[in-house]
Amino acid sequence: MFDSVFTAAEYLTDGMNLLFLMLGVVVGIIFGIIPGLGGATAIALLLPLTFGMQAEQAITLMGGVMGAVTIGGSITAILLNTPGTAPNAATCFDGYPLTRQGKAGMAIGAAVTASSIGGVIGAFILILLLPVAKNIILYFGPPAYFMLAVLGLTALTAASSNLLRGLVGACLGLFIGFVGYDDMGGATRYAAGVDYLWDGLSIVPVLIGLFAIAEMLKLYVMGGSIAKTGETGNLGVSGTLEGIKAAFRHFKVILSGSAIGAVIGTVPGVGGTVASFLSYSFTLQTSKDKQNFGKGDIRGVIAPEASNNAKDGGSLIPTLAFGIPGSAEMALFLGVLILHGMDPGPMLLLEREFTIFVLILALLAATLVSGVIVLLTARYLIKVTFIDSAILIPSVIVVSLVGAYALHNSIGDVFAAAFFGVLGYLMHRFDYPRITLVIALVLGGLMERNYFQTSLMYRGDWSKAFGDTPFVILLVLAVLALLMPVISSVIKRKTRQSV
Amino acid sequence: MKLVARFSAILLLSMGLSLNAHAFPDEDVSIVIPYSPGGGFDRAVRAFAPYFEEHLGGDVTVLPRNVPGAGGRRGTTSVYRADPDGYTLGIINLPGFALPRILGEPAEYDLREMSWIGRLEAQDYVLLVASDSDIKTIEDLKQLEEITFTSTGYGSTVLAATQIVASALGLQKKNPIYLAGYSGTSDSLVALVRGDGNVGMAPISSAAKYIQSGDLRALAVTGASSPLEGVPTFAEAGYPELTALNLQRALAGPPGMSDELLETLRAAFNKTVNDPGFLESAKKARMDVAPLDGKATAEAVMEAFEFYEKFKADLSNPNAQ
Repeated sequence: MFDSVFTAAEYLTDGMNLLFLMLGVVVGIIFGIIPGLGGATAIALLLPLTFGMQAEQAITLMGGVMGAVTIGGSITAILLNTPGTAPNAATCFDGYPLTRQGKAGMAIGAAVTASSIGGVIGAFILILLLPVAKNIILYFGPPAYFMLAVLGLTALTAASSNLLRGLVGACLGLFIGFVGYDDMGGATRYAAGVDYLWDGLSIVPVLIGLFAIAEMLKLYVMGGSIAKTGETGNLGVSGTLEGIKAAFRHFKVILSGSAIGAVIGTVPGVGGTVASFLSYSFTLQTSKDKQNFGKGDIRGVIAPEASNNAKDGGSLIPTLAFGIPGSAEMALFLGVLILHGMDPGPMLLLEREFTIFVLILALLAATLVSGVIVLLTARYLIKVTFIDSAILIPSVIVVSLVGAYALHNSIGDVFAAAFFGVLGYLMHRFDYPRITLVIALVLGGLMERNYFQTSLMYRGDWSKAFGDTPFVILLVLAVLALLMPVISSVIKRKTRQSV
Repeated sequence: MKLVARFSAILLLSMGLSLNAHAFPDEDVSIVIPYSPGGGFDRAVRAFAPYFEEHLGGDVTVLPRNVPGAGGRRGTTSVYRADPDGYTLGIINLPGFALPRILGEPAEYDLREMSWIGRLEAQDYVLLVASDSDIKTIEDLKQLEEITFTSTGYGSTVLAATQIVASALGLQKKNPIYLAGYSGTSDSLVALVRGDGNVGMAPISSAAKYIQSGDLRALAVTGASSPLEGVPTFAEAGYPELTALNLQRALAGPPGMSDELLETLRAAFNKTVNDPGFLESAKKARMDVAPLDGKATAEAVMEAFEFYEKFKADLSNPNAQ
């Protein structure tokens, strides 16, 4: 196995291949930065370029894109409160408040460091898991997926500053998730005869609306520029250095974020968005001092960024071992593999060991290189936040709407983004958290589908689910997560009384 | 005199050229793929388009265009509604896109009216169990009391095929469970390996790698002959009515295309599917090339409608509340 690692490393450092890697990284960063474009669009555009290439060269190019894209996306999330790609959505919650406090450099430094380390950890986890990849996928059935979604939803309690308002947001998220054709019941729900709603609302235009457009509406009402305080002087290198240091200070957060990312990544169909939300809420629930989360806590940037780069490693497992893509990006990558004569399946991992290691190393190199590129350019990027709103607002809205359109070439997505922009602004105005809406929207479909599948599988007898080990483990975790705040407050009260 | 002859020759030539410029094709032809990039339909069109472009002649490009949405209905509707000028064609999932009409659901298009250019691919189905299962033959399956099929959701071709097989084998009376809702065929096959259910159906090409790796065992295949060693066809096992059950990918244009135009497109199609260059790309894209000319494809569409009409009673949603 280690022979393959070295030959793969040698292959990557060859001039031409290095060039492909760099091309992938640059395209990945740019497509990451622009909201709505993301990795899937980049791979789709680069795909025809690979026709004449060797399989390994094509994979190097795509590895470069996949490793870089979420790093690019974190910049937009931090500076403009707009997730550049869907997995960056959780980064907005604390990254943007930091920008408003004039600490954008610090946030970017921390995000990039967490991403790079997360990517490296993810790659190592992938290497470690490869021999047992098949067992992992066969271990999780519908009952376990259902419980996983429930566990994710318990995070809502921690993520809402006002529980009732948080739950209202969550219900709204679940409701939005119901829209569209339900292929279990065979019914179209809340589509009102509109063709566009048949497939349900896709997550990217919803995120673009809730965050980017809502933010611009907010800025329009208030005027001025994004960054309220902060001198231009403390923006550049010193700020990013502080961020890098912060990331290392919270190394535990990076570790847990990466582990969550890599493990959730292996679950087909769940992907990076869920992983980064779970990582965010895990960090939130396990931190002692939570009052700063959502207002600019650096850990809120580190946790999701570590996990959304680590997830690439994990999500390659179902793609390579079973041909089950976990996301749109992976579906396209699957197309690249097949085009180059690699048939994903249980045998691929053994037959094409060298190619797989080229991919892993390309991913690893891409996260590191794109991290360096972003850190070097951060001081220029941050200037965006000082632009006057009269120039910034129209530009961001245009780019956002174009991004929404580019996703599926659908004008419906543009209307959806506009609608959710207004909704997002109203939610902000009346102080309802957007984060719980997004978590519920992302997890609702997963939970519903697997609930029905489990019921069918056990012929309505849910007691059989207790025979499923991962189900039981996740159930225990969910109960603990719900009881934790109660227990800790009881303990606090007791200790106070005894004093 | 000579000059006049030359002049009139040039005049005639330029008239000829300008006439020629109005002949089909003189602008880009797009082939609508009603799914997102990356899937089997996308790969098929992308392998086919460059060679089709060559054989169509004219200085035009054949562009694959993804119009995903509503389980393929959005793209198919856009082809159906397009002008029948030959510049908008589409790849059609058969019987997938015929199902809504057969099931009595709203569909804004009728495949029977479309202008069929030719069939690219046909895949037969295989009935599968996990390799550690006690079920070795169709007869074993029929003895089983609790049957759970893993499948994709209602409206998908795999679920319809599963229901038809269950009906033909007489399994419906045992109230089998259709564990639908997996996001794709690979996903439902992995669920079968995992043991979420105990039997499943898939196109042979999707299942082949799991049969080779020893995770799944094939019980029977549809079609006239079996490509899998030691696995009988349904006809050999005593169920000849299942022979016609398959999955096809065919090229079609909007209804009402002129005969002349249709002939041009069909001729280019027939040349393309016999082009060794195309066959090479098709092999790389893992296509199951099984060409059929336009007329035969149109007949195959009518046959598919008849076939599914016959089983209509079995095709209602098994999980409707």
